[in-house]
Amino acid sequence: MNDKLNQILQKQQQQVDEPHKKEDDVIQLVGFIIGQEEYAVPILSIQEIIKPIEYTRVPSVPTYILGVFNLRGSVIPLIDLRSKFKMDPAKVTEDTRYIVMKGVDNTAGFVIDRLTEAIRIKSSRIGPPPETIHAEKGMVYGIGMRDENILTILKVEQLLKRDF
Amino acid sequence: MEDIQEILEDFLVEAFELIEQLDQNLVELEGNPDDLELLNSIFRVAHTIKGSSSFLNFDILTGLTHHMEDVLNKARHGDLKLTPEVMDVVLESIDLMKSLLHAIRDSGNDTSVGIDITDICRRLDIISNGEPVANVVVAAAEVDESPTPTYEENDDNTDYSKLSDKEVEDEIERLLKMRKEEDRKRKETSSAAKAAAVPTPSFESLKDGDEETPKVVEPIVAKRASAEANAPAKKESASAMEQTIRVEVKRLDHLMNLIGELVLGKNRLLKIYDDVEERYEGEKFLEELNQVVSSISLVTTDLQIAVMKTRMLPIAKVFNKFPRMVRDLSRELGKQIELEISGEETELDKSIVEEIGDPLVHIIRNSCDHGIEDGATRRANGKAEMGLIQLKAYNEGNHIVIEITDDGKGLDPDLLRSKAVEKGMITEREADAMTDKEAFALIFRPSLSTAKVVTNVSGRGVGMDVVKTNIEKLNGIIDVDSEVGHGTVIKLKIPLTLAIIQALLVGAQEEYYAIPLASVLETVRIPLDEIYTIEGKNVLRLRDEVLSLVRLSDIFGVKQVYEGGEHTYVVVIGLAESKLGVVVDTLVGQEEIVIKSLGDYLQGIEGIAGATIRGDGRVTLIVDVAALMNLAKGITVDIRASAEAVVKTKTVPSDYIVLAVDDSAMDRNIMKKSMEPIGVKVLEASNGQEALNMLKSAEYSIDAVLIDIEMPRMDGYTLAGEIRKYSKYKNLPLIAVTSRTSKSDRLRGVESGMSEYITKPYSPEYLESVVRKNIKL
Repeated sequence: MNDKLNQILQKQQQQVDEPHKKEDDVIQLVGFIIGQEEYAVPILSIQEIIKPIEYTRVPSVPTYILGVFNLRGSVIPLIDLRSKFKMDPAKVTEDTRYIVMKGVDNTAGFVIDRLTEAIRIKSSRIGPPPETIHAEKGMVYGIGMRDENILTILKVEQLLKRDF
Repeated sequence: MEDIQEILEDFLVEAFELIEQLDQNLVELEGNPDDLELLNSIFRVAHTIKGSSSFLNFDILTGLTHHMEDVLNKARHGDLKLTPEVMDVVLESIDLMKSLLHAIRDSGNDTSVGIDITDICRRLDIISNGEPVANVVVAAAEVDESPTPTYEENDDNTDYSKLSDKEVEDEIERLLKMRKEEDRKRKETSSAAKAAAVPTPSFESLKDGDEETPKVVEPIVAKRASAEANAPAKKESASAMEQTIRVEVKRLDHLMNLIGELVLGKNRLLKIYDDVEERYEGEKFLEELNQVVSSISLVTTDLQIAVMKTRMLPIAKVFNKFPRMVRDLSRELGKQIELEISGEETELDKSIVEEIGDPLVHIIRNSCDHGIEDGATRRANGKAEMGLIQLKAYNEGNHIVIEITDDGKGLDPDLLRSKAVEKGMITEREADAMTDKEAFALIFRPSLSTAKVVTNVSGRGVGMDVVKTNIEKLNGIIDVDSEVGHGTVIKLKIPLTLAIIQALLVGAQEEYYAIPLASVLETVRIPLDEIYTIEGKNVLRLRDEVLSLVRLSDIFGVKQVYEGGEHTYVVVIGLAESKLGVVVDTLVGQEEIVIKSLGDYLQGIEGIAGATIRGDGRVTLIVDVAALMNLAKGITVDIRASAEAVVKTKTVPSDYIVLAVDDSAMDRNIMKKSMEPIGVKVLEASNGQEALNMLKSAEYSIDAVLIDIEMPRMDGYTLAGEIRKYSKYKNLPLIAVTSRTSKSDRLRGVESGMSEYITKPYSPEYLESVVRKNIKL
């Protein structure tokens, strides 16, 4: 009896310990779709995700900057990732969302086609970005291998950097 | 250790305040050398600084002030006459004192910067010794080869430089005791004075006390006494002066931000109230709501003003340094110049006070150097030998006006024109077309100077450019007026505050922009055919002026979605000395807006100064007027031609699209059938929301809408109202097709923006003719 109890206790202890061990090299991401591909950004760099709201066009900026919108009293720029990645424009649908990302000194909203899910991925399964991706140059942190598909993980700091 | 730091900080704050005062008083004294009261207060200031600095062991500073004090003391007793030469030395030593204080502030001691005071001390000594007044009894007793302190009636003549450390400590100990004793006495004196309930402050008694006071005690007493002596007109009691509190600017800024949010909230509330009022007209609760809304809006405005006031500083802060500057300049240039200051109590926001100093320095330097002539020329022209510069500040509405007037030789518009042509800034023709006022404005162009020689005061043609840039940064306006031989008047008109401004909201096609009202001179409505083109530029003759015109939608590349009528609105904006007419499609009105930054990502977009959030929660961009004027130069769109070139793309009936909105499919079919003979394309929507989305998406260019009134989700009236909110659909035919036949229903239809009202049942021919009429087929 005592043996059995000890076994159970040990097992429980193991369960408590294990996630800790794992968590060290697991990265939490939020996945989303733009065009045909699935992209992801670290969950901690996301301030919030909102449904599309009205925005105001800003003159003399590149076309991928749609304008600015009002996020509870702050004026936040809105960037169209489709256009930034040189894809064809798409209509706003029921699934369209703005992901508001926060960097060190910038905050911006990004238009995406559809959210997928929260993703946990081991850092060992993230490979370096392929050299051939031109439109997304410098913005890709790495490629995440998953069982059923691959993910393009974006560099948030780079997305938030002004490049015009 | 911390205590010492605190004392040091207090000392510095006090010393800088005192020294500023000292500068001013000395210049005043020069013009009025017999003013004993003034001299006394100057002496006390010097003395206070000496006292505190010796307490804190700043030997160099102490030595310097000590020698200065010697001279002032002699003057005070009438043993020395304060000639301009003497003043030069005294002022110079005050400058040294300032550098020492700066060094103390930056490094914590006065020895590290290596400022040498021996020379100035020697000269101060020569002044106090070398004059023939040496035979006067008092002076004879005090003048010695060593710089013996000359504290009048002081029982204490200790020379600290000769004391050992131990002795110094003992001395400090002793002095501290005395100070405590004196503090106690002083309290008694002042409370006695208060008890006596004399309206005038106890200046006399303080002064008396002060004379017997040993020097270290003096700082506090002297400060109070001198402060009072300085403002004898105000007659404020000393206790009243302590009713202030020092607050970090950061806290005030935060408070200002919060108020900004509140103002936005208020605007929003007002807007919602307007909407509600429209919808529930005559309902009882409106009255109550109205009261709440107006009281909140009133309180918010008051609160905003109150917080703004806490950030206000008297412009005297800036003006104070000018008497000294003008005095130095006049000595340097060998001219006699008097500076007359008025309105120095006028208040301005702190951030503006900080920005306004430099431009004023340049303007005044210019007036001294180029404006005022030398004595001989003035006499020859029948003017008083003493030149006069007036510096005036006053409020005008939401602005403060600073006026700098000199009675010098004035600006010669012809000379300016020829200079500008010579430098290739303008063409000969432009010069001829220029009015005098425009010619005066040339002085603000960089590298234009009319000075024949470059002095070290001015003449390089940089200063006035600085003036223009700084004033533009503050959204201010510069106005120059001048008459040859009589002088020049420069007026700076600056808004009182920067964070919350009044703005004019204008519409360019479907977009809205806010123009700071401070820069708006007027708005006019003109017929298009009054716009002329001269050398590829659009101009408008407005009264006796020719105004360049530019369309806001051309500057900001706004998408053309509809063409305006035969009239258009022109907003005349003015900044610094230039003017421009901005053509807009609609004028929305005046609103109080809170300036918000666009953030780092969108910083520095040309033509945009920031953004604000309107009552409806939308972001509206604020126009940067200075940049707008620059951008306008590069635009060469012929307004009239492009407005007249109406793009007529629809030729055959099948190009036209009519939207039928009805929740019953059968009704939509009847409509369709009725319109078949015209041959137009018919789109269908089963409710208001759907129809509105179709219009919003702008996928089809719809030419008319047939609207049923009773529909689920959004009824016909609301739909019409929503459609009319878009300026591009202002003239879109909206035809109500309904079984509601009462007069009030018809009226409501008209109010909501319907252009026609057809009652069911209708004959197909009737509907057909109405549609034909409305789409002009």
